[in-house]
Amino acid sequence: MEIPYTASVRPDTGVTNQKLGMWLFLASEVMLFGSLFSSYALLRSGAMTWPDQSSIVNVRLATVNTAVLIASSVAILRAVAALRGGNIARFRALMAATATLGIIFLAIKSVEYRGELAEGLRPSTNNFVGLYFVMTFLHAMHVTGGVLVNGFLCGPGMVMNRHDAPRFLGRVEAAALYWNFIDVIWILMFIVLYLL
Amino acid sequence: MFRKYIFSLDHKVIGLQYALTSLCFLLIGFSLAVVFRWQLAYPGQPVPIIGRWLGELNAPGGVVLPEFYNQLVAMHGTIMVFLAVVPLSVGAFGNYLIPLQIGAPDMAFPRLNMASYWTYLAGGLVMLVSFFVSGGAPNSGWTSYPPLAVFATLGQTFWLVGMFLLIVSALFGSVNTITTIVQLRAPGLTWFRLPFFIWAQLVTAFLLLLAFPPLQGAAILQFADRVLGTSFFMPSGLFSGGQAVNRAGGGNPLLWQHLFWFLAHPEVYVLILPAMGIVGEIIANNTRKPLWGYRVMVYAIIFLGFMSFAVWAHHMFLTGMGTVISAFFQTTTMIISVPSVIILTALLLSLYGGSIRFNTPMLFALAFLPMFGIGGLSGLPLGLAASDIPLHDTMYVVGHFHYVVAPGTIFALFAGIYYWYPKVTGRMMNEALGWIHFGGSFLCMNGILFPMLILGLAGVNRRLYDGGMQYALAQPLHNLQVGMSYAAWALALFQLPFIWNVFASLKFGRVADANPWQATTLEWAAAPTPPLAHGNFETIPAVYRPAYEYSVPGAADDFVPQNSTSV
Repeated sequence: MEIPYTASVRPDTGVTNQKLGMWLFLASEVMLFGSLFSSYALLRSGAMTWPDQSSIVNVRLATVNTAVLIASSVAILRAVAALRGGNIARFRALMAATATLGIIFLAIKSVEYRGELAEGLRPSTNNFVGLYFVMTFLHAMHVTGGVLVNGFLCGPGMVMNRHDAPRFLGRVEAAALYWNFIDVIWILMFIVLYLL
Repeated sequence: MFRKYIFSLDHKVIGLQYALTSLCFLLIGFSLAVVFRWQLAYPGQPVPIIGRWLGELNAPGGVVLPEFYNQLVAMHGTIMVFLAVVPLSVGAFGNYLIPLQIGAPDMAFPRLNMASYWTYLAGGLVMLVSFFVSGGAPNSGWTSYPPLAVFATLGQTFWLVGMFLLIVSALFGSVNTITTIVQLRAPGLTWFRLPFFIWAQLVTAFLLLLAFPPLQGAAILQFADRVLGTSFFMPSGLFSGGQAVNRAGGGNPLLWQHLFWFLAHPEVYVLILPAMGIVGEIIANNTRKPLWGYRVMVYAIIFLGFMSFAVWAHHMFLTGMGTVISAFFQTTTMIISVPSVIILTALLLSLYGGSIRFNTPMLFALAFLPMFGIGGLSGLPLGLAASDIPLHDTMYVVGHFHYVVAPGTIFALFAGIYYWYPKVTGRMMNEALGWIHFGGSFLCMNGILFPMLILGLAGVNRRLYDGGMQYALAQPLHNLQVGMSYAAWALALFQLPFIWNVFASLKFGRVADANPWQATTLEWAAAPTPPLAHGNFETIPAVYRPAYEYSVPGAADDFVPQNSTSV
């Protein structure tokens, strides 16, 4: 039994199932992160005092991390282009680079966490530190998921490219959508939690 | 074997898994009510028969303790809403019927579908396990308002984890539903040829997709408050048990209420829209007429879906959030009542001039109309800030939402079970038992719920574990509490013919032909009954006409299936 339009575009809607499903998932993610950003806004606007954020968190490391994540976004877009062009070796290298940059992001993030914990900061310290830990940890979980998927797609997942290339391309495109979304969320977090 | 029945990828098997699981939860949730109705009718007296099995910690000597009463009520609400009605109406009916009604071989993402069911089951089990942890089940109400919920016993942490899993399950399900309806419609099945049920499921899926994640965010924050000691919902200067609470403070309890009701108001429509869809199908079929105002109903349900995101704070008029915000939300609340009334009116007008067949599904569908009518109209005074103030947190509110969900949604779900049972099993359910089930349930439901409205108007608070006996204003009305409890227990007895009917009809039911209700929609007209194990259709049907071509002048039969080429 074959599900229609898994990888081929349905003419009257103009999308594949894969792409529509990913867009819907991202819409839901917008609401999840949106609720946390709104909570941040409400708690901060209602607070008597709010700490100077940039003096608590490590802006320097986070700037490096932002650059790492943006580089990985560029890499995954180049990987999609390479796969579309049929250049499998190039795709594989770029996708592996994306996953590696994701791991570097997580490593830098854990250095950040270690520094903050060593300074005695805990989620219970105050609401800013609490939100910082909860929101960045939730984001880090999303990055971890993305790294696993990207790693799969340039490793064992590539088998599909041999017997069902259009569907594999659809998967890679969906992974790229997700990865870029996670990047955008990080940039928002960087602005809100580190700079504002 | 495992692939076929347990870890199945087939939407029909997953739909049945959802149906059986959620019906079990419906029974569990109802049993909790059966127990605490005893406490409300005979406060302080030992529960007969089952009292000794409630546990010495919960009910010493069979007398329900206040803490245990709170657990029963909180879990009754949680189980009924999140584990019974939503999974039954969306997970079971949606999963089983959407691909059949739109002419698709399966849902768009079969593996995601399976994951959705198993995540739901895991969430449900986590909720049930909470009864057996130290301190018992969650006891802060199904709304889990902090700071109470943050101080509550361990069960509340289970509630948060369970809710997280249920929201993940809803996310998987809704992505799947929307993609299926958008992408897998059969050739010729344009948007305005879709059965109304499909429209209802589509709008519901959008509500699940977009309204549930904020509660997930809120659950993460409350989890942090409980486990990591943060103060997101804990204001400064809080005292508990005479002791100053040792926390950073600076949080906002209202933030939880905003996030919770941002989910929970669309949730109300998640509960009612699939029910409207089912009733629409059954009314069109049994009046042998097209639905009156089908297009208007579709526009109304889409508008309802949009508006449901802008009314949540009408649950919070008493929180002191300010008159300007109250005025805004009472305006949107009055606006959202318009599309509901449009749909109900259209269903009512659909009856006019029809030669109505009074079978069991139709009886339940007909009862839905006045019951949902009472539920909806009794909500209007609650939507206006001024009249909400005296009524808020009284039994009136309980009566209002139970009228919407219990004889409203659950009657529609019963109607759907009787209507699609032959599709699933190839046999009809017993009509005589169906009439007994319907008549008994109808009388008992009203026997339980109408006195709630009276009690509430008299000012009886909804959260009293002795049914209000310590208040002079409630004492003269206590005989109503007794009567309501007898109605609840009778309602339990009247479910026995239904349970028997479901199982016995598998073997003894009259064998149904392919289209026993002479319906026009694809699940009857094009798919074999019972459906094929895989793929649903021998060939994917093409659709040539709208969903409800009943009694077309000049046609050979009084129904013209959607896939029929000739009139």
